[in-house]
Amino acid sequence: MTKGIRNIALIMVFSFVFLSLGLAYWQVVNADTMLDNPANRRAVFLEKRITRGSIYDRNGVVLAKTVGTGENKFREYPLGEMFQPLIGYATVQYGSAGLEATEAETLLGINDKSILRKIQNTFELKRTGNDVVLTLDARLQETAYEGLKGKTGAVVAIDPQNGDVLALVSQPSYDATTLEAEWDAILARQNSPLLNHAFSLFPPGSTMKIVTSGAIFRAGLDTTELFKCEGKTVINGQTIPEQNGKVHGWVNYDLALAYSCNTYFAQYGIKAGAQNFLKALSDFGFGQDIPFELYVPPSSVTNEDPLPQTLGANLLASSAFGQGEVMVSPFHMALITAGVANNGKIMAPHLIDSVLDSKQNRIYKRTPEIWLSPLSESNAEIIKSGMILAVNKGSAAPGALPDVQVAAKTGSAETGGNEDTHAWYVAFAPADDPKIAVAVLVEHGGTGSGAAAPIAKAVIEKALELREGEN
Amino acid sequence: MLKSLSLRAITLSILWIGLGVLKLNDMAENGLLLQGAIFSVLIIAGSLFELFYHYQGDKYLLPTVQTIMVIGLVFLVRINPSRAETQFLWANLGMIVFYVVFLILRDYRKLGEYQYLWGMLALLLLLVTLVFGTTLNGAKSWISFGVRGFQPEELVKVALLLFLASYLGKNKELLRFGTVQVGRISLPDIHTVGPFLFIGVIVLGLLGAQKSLGTALVFFLLMVFIMYLVTERVLYLVASIPLILVTGAIGYLLFGHVRVRVAAWIDPWADPTGGSFQIAQSIFAISGGRLLGTGLGNGIGAYQIPYGDTDFIFAVIAEELGFLGAMAVISLFIIVVLRCFAVSVRAGDRFGQILSAGIGILIGVEALIILAGVTKMLPLTGLPLPWVSYGGSSMVVHFMLLGILANISHHSSFVLNEIPIGKRVNAL
Repeated sequence: MTKGIRNIALIMVFSFVFLSLGLAYWQVVNADTMLDNPANRRAVFLEKRITRGSIYDRNGVVLAKTVGTGENKFREYPLGEMFQPLIGYATVQYGSAGLEATEAETLLGINDKSILRKIQNTFELKRTGNDVVLTLDARLQETAYEGLKGKTGAVVAIDPQNGDVLALVSQPSYDATTLEAEWDAILARQNSPLLNHAFSLFPPGSTMKIVTSGAIFRAGLDTTELFKCEGKTVINGQTIPEQNGKVHGWVNYDLALAYSCNTYFAQYGIKAGAQNFLKALSDFGFGQDIPFELYVPPSSVTNEDPLPQTLGANLLASSAFGQGEVMVSPFHMALITAGVANNGKIMAPHLIDSVLDSKQNRIYKRTPEIWLSPLSESNAEIIKSGMILAVNKGSAAPGALPDVQVAAKTGSAETGGNEDTHAWYVAFAPADDPKIAVAVLVEHGGTGSGAAAPIAKAVIEKALELREGEN
Repeated sequence: MLKSLSLRAITLSILWIGLGVLKLNDMAENGLLLQGAIFSVLIIAGSLFELFYHYQGDKYLLPTVQTIMVIGLVFLVRINPSRAETQFLWANLGMIVFYVVFLILRDYRKLGEYQYLWGMLALLLLLVTLVFGTTLNGAKSWISFGVRGFQPEELVKVALLLFLASYLGKNKELLRFGTVQVGRISLPDIHTVGPFLFIGVIVLGLLGAQKSLGTALVFFLLMVFIMYLVTERVLYLVASIPLILVTGAIGYLLFGHVRVRVAAWIDPWADPTGGSFQIAQSIFAISGGRLLGTGLGNGIGAYQIPYGDTDFIFAVIAEELGFLGAMAVISLFIIVVLRCFAVSVRAGDRFGQILSAGIGILIGVEALIILAGVTKMLPLTGLPLPWVSYGGSSMVVHFMLLGILANISHHSSFVLNEIPIGKRVNAL
């Protein structure tokens, strides 16, 4: 009978070991998958119990906070719609969006990996999540918001030297404090207020010429060479017109960028060739996910393929001056501009400066790092001189400031149909030591110099004034 | 002496750390703390009793079970304080039953003389339940006495174990070597195996009729394993596999709630708010526990999982104590089961051997089936986790079994002392 006992004991022990493997499967291997299951309401219930941390701008201005205790808790957004839809919302009924969604685990303090924190949590139940400090500056955000108010579009302001996002406005917007009460009304509004327009894709218009410049350098073309602009040109049977049929005459690269000469960039794009053009786009981050706290869809070259292997002559020519099928988000355009400003290096963008736990110990601090290096320092300098010329002598003049040299590029993107063009304006300043890079998009706003330039100008002026105040 | 007291100290410190944490979280009323105190006094008194009685049996079984029980009590306080109060009373009663059984039995060997009485008792209890029982959660397994309900099938476990141990003790050789030749396999004659088959089929049939399918599965496995253990013939293990498949298929076709549970087992995410709500919530809670758990009193499952204080109590434990805590509970069960086998190996007579091993098999199978159900490794069958889930019948009956075990191990120590070692082999 001893053999029988031994074998049964072995069967039992093996079964228990097998059971432990099952436990390990759920608790260790599969824990995250289960948390993301739509039927899993854990996060919502945790939310009810944990006081969500606050969100601050870089100077401690409250952007979102939880008011009240227990069952009467509600989330308040003191600055109203100025920071929406970027900050987003967190509701039991409609789920969450924006930063409130992507940073939920941080704000609720449920992603702390430290053993010490775990042990602490074991013995205290009523908890406060972590506070998140953003890189945004509420004063600059206000300037951008006031400029864009009533229009549709986006403003993105970035510190080119470290990738800090200083302002990010999308219009139209909504007030998240009263979101639940007005949900249906908000949904019914024109131009999708819940959508962050800074992260949506638009044809870039002439701002694309900055990127095309990268292809020209890559192909080793001579930028001092003169080119005769006759108001239009025909490539492969396709007519490339200048805006309003304007004849620029003899231009070199600098003047072509300053006057925003379509024929120059179409011809030189063809000269550079599809491979150089696509490689330049890839270097600038087309077809890639941007490493950022929020999801930004990758910019794309064609409708079929964000970054195709090759490009036909017609599409290459029209893509080279920002038409064709190219689609870029205002956020990405701001990063490209910041890259030119920062000697050809695009810093990885940051929206979150630091995270503080409930006892105000800093548990995360962002570190500046390079995301892409699309241009050499000397090539970035060439583009910069063209953008300075655009402000001083060319199409970007409305963005000029009296005592600071601004470098900028306009864009008026055809959207098809008879609608007004999208007005683009990208700029950075001061040109010799850039402290701020801006991208402004006013959807169907007309020309970049008319609709978008004043907003960018105001933002740059405010940003430099705030910088002065700090020093 | 020192060992038994230090084991009790570990058990009690687990209890009071748990209650203390819950008290800090405002989850434990003072009334419950008082219950905990009474319970603690009873544990200490029990260990002093063993000291004065010169208890010579297994020193680990009871403390291990008490530790398992203490974890269950702490979690009941956390999940359902009003039931925890009742459960403390059951726990106290269970421990008293343990000592009473241990003392009254004096000599467990007498139990082996009434094998058919036990078999008939098992059948009778089940019949009574079927006729007079009330239905709860799809199974008709309760006898109501006014407010309190009682589950006779818990008592059936004792009766069935006693029947099996005495019957197998008498017919071991006949079953092992067989007397009828069928082809190359020798089988026992119908006269020998008849009572076993008769009792087995009727018991399982009655349980099936009550829709207590979880208990039916436990009894089936118990009979198969104990048969193998005594006869050491793999044939009996192998023969059980088609049986279990056939009966499983029949159950699947007969019962609607079995079909729902099997569907929920195969894909719990298809209908997580309907038929598979329980298992989905259980898995969410368990996986939410991760390695170290959310901490006692911080979990979501305690409110979310239906029957979190009975069938699913392990899911709540796994959530709040994490993988480590769940493993601790599983380890404690492994210890209990293996101690039962250790008692079995040392027992002085065949009946005691089979009985103690049978108790070990029963506890192991019960724990395995409910834990495998909660972790989605088997389809769900509603069973209480011994000494942990809320419920008086299960608590008292399992302490009865433990009392019998203590009795067996206490007596075998004298047997071993009296018999020269070389002769021991002949006694078995």
